[in-house]
Amino acid sequence: MKVVIVDYGMGNLRSISSALSYIGVDDIVVSSSYLDLSKADKLILPGVGSFKNAMSQIKLKMLNVYLNEIVIVKRKPILGICLGMQLMGLSSTEESYTEGLKFVNGTVTKFDETLMTVPHVGFNQIRIQDNLKLFEGISDNSDFYFTHSFRMLSNEKLNQSECDYNGNFIASFEVGHIAGVQFHPELSQHNGLKLLKNFIKNF
Amino acid sequence: MLRKRIIFTLVYSDGYFMQSRNFRLQKVGNLIWLEKYYQFQKIAFSIDELIVVNATRNKKSITEFANVITNLVKDVFIPITAGGGIKSMDDAKLLFNSGADKIVVNSILYNDTELVDNLVYKYGSQSIVGSVDYKKLNNCNSVFIKDGSYVIPMTLESYIKHLEELNIGEVYLNSIDKDGTGFGYDLDVISQLSKYITKPLIIAGGAGNELHLKEGLKINGVSAVATANLFNFVGDGLIKARESLIKIGFALPLWDFEQAERQK
Repeated sequence: MKVVIVDYGMGNLRSISSALSYIGVDDIVVSSSYLDLSKADKLILPGVGSFKNAMSQIKLKMLNVYLNEIVIVKRKPILGICLGMQLMGLSSTEESYTEGLKFVNGTVTKFDETLMTVPHVGFNQIRIQDNLKLFEGISDNSDFYFTHSFRMLSNEKLNQSECDYNGNFIASFEVGHIAGVQFHPELSQHNGLKLLKNFIKNF
Repeated sequence: MLRKRIIFTLVYSDGYFMQSRNFRLQKVGNLIWLEKYYQFQKIAFSIDELIVVNATRNKKSITEFANVITNLVKDVFIPITAGGGIKSMDDAKLLFNSGADKIVVNSILYNDTELVDNLVYKYGSQSIVGSVDYKKLNNCNSVFIKDGSYVIPMTLESYIKHLEELNIGEVYLNSIDKDGTGFGYDLDVISQLSKYITKPLIIAGGAGNELHLKEGLKINGVSAVATANLFNFVGDGLIKARESLIKIGFALPLWDFEQAERQK
């Protein structure tokens, strides 16, 4: 099993690769090269930082073109984590309006700072409907670690789990072979390890 | 619902983990010691977050500290915040690349706000924890930077307002007077400040037992309680404290170490 963590130069990739290795993935590569990405069995799109900055890094490295071919044309499974999940949406208003990779029909906007503490930081429970492949064996209302100021909403159901922080937002989606999680499975103890295992096994 | 957090803070200095009391450091043991006697990886499954602070006085080696982080985070799947002496974008980058999920900054919040802005721009505000050390001087809460060695001409209240404008993600509030005493958190000041801090607030300094954690968690605006007390809480102290806090109804995330083992 070869898992490639897509590297566009932002944030901590070590905890993701160490979580993958903990659950038994033997071939983990951190790369932004087309050759590596196309050889992967599965991809992980991580990310910490600002949407706008991340999109410009992605375009600079031509990753938008590579990912479109590998994920959309060749239908390789991908899991976006946190900002990586948001990047797969249509757009974000972080700093200024920026278009995303447009893999799923979701838009990213900021939590209302006048209503609650922003960022949304800490472990929060999520509501998990039945038959979600990422959550096999994980019970409803389990805790996952979130840290973000922006969140994804959609006008359709994206086969999603939801989290409530003064209103519901998308905690995860599964659209065919494309999955995304707003929380950090690599920082969510056994719940997160289990979810990563499910991604490897079920996608 | 959004849970509150219990955070363990490890104070590092020049190759060793330290017990700090009023910011005076006493050597406890190195990384090998931490693993051998306290089975750190196991403990990590009973806390919600880990903060590691490089409190080396004089010259801090960020490369050496980054190596410690890398060794420490192996098989620890909780958020790790690292910092102490961050003076450039490169320092921050090194810590993120070494396994830190967030960084904690202190002196630059006062003396290099441009760097803080740049860090927020690159890594997002949620990755930046702003640490504030304060102590009472002539009955007034004064803010200290540079490992508590330099007092700045601003009251705690006005400094907190200054931080709010910096767009950092969380505030780590540490009382130097209470630090390492085990006498409990500085509850009066915390209650006062928590009313107008709009960022998630982590409180530190003084926790010596479960009751203290409870007193801190009870305050509405407190998002997390931190302890750096290696003697009182490492071993199974923190695990037990956590279990009993959950039993009496505190909303902490539920962890099961044995389940984690089974993920292997």
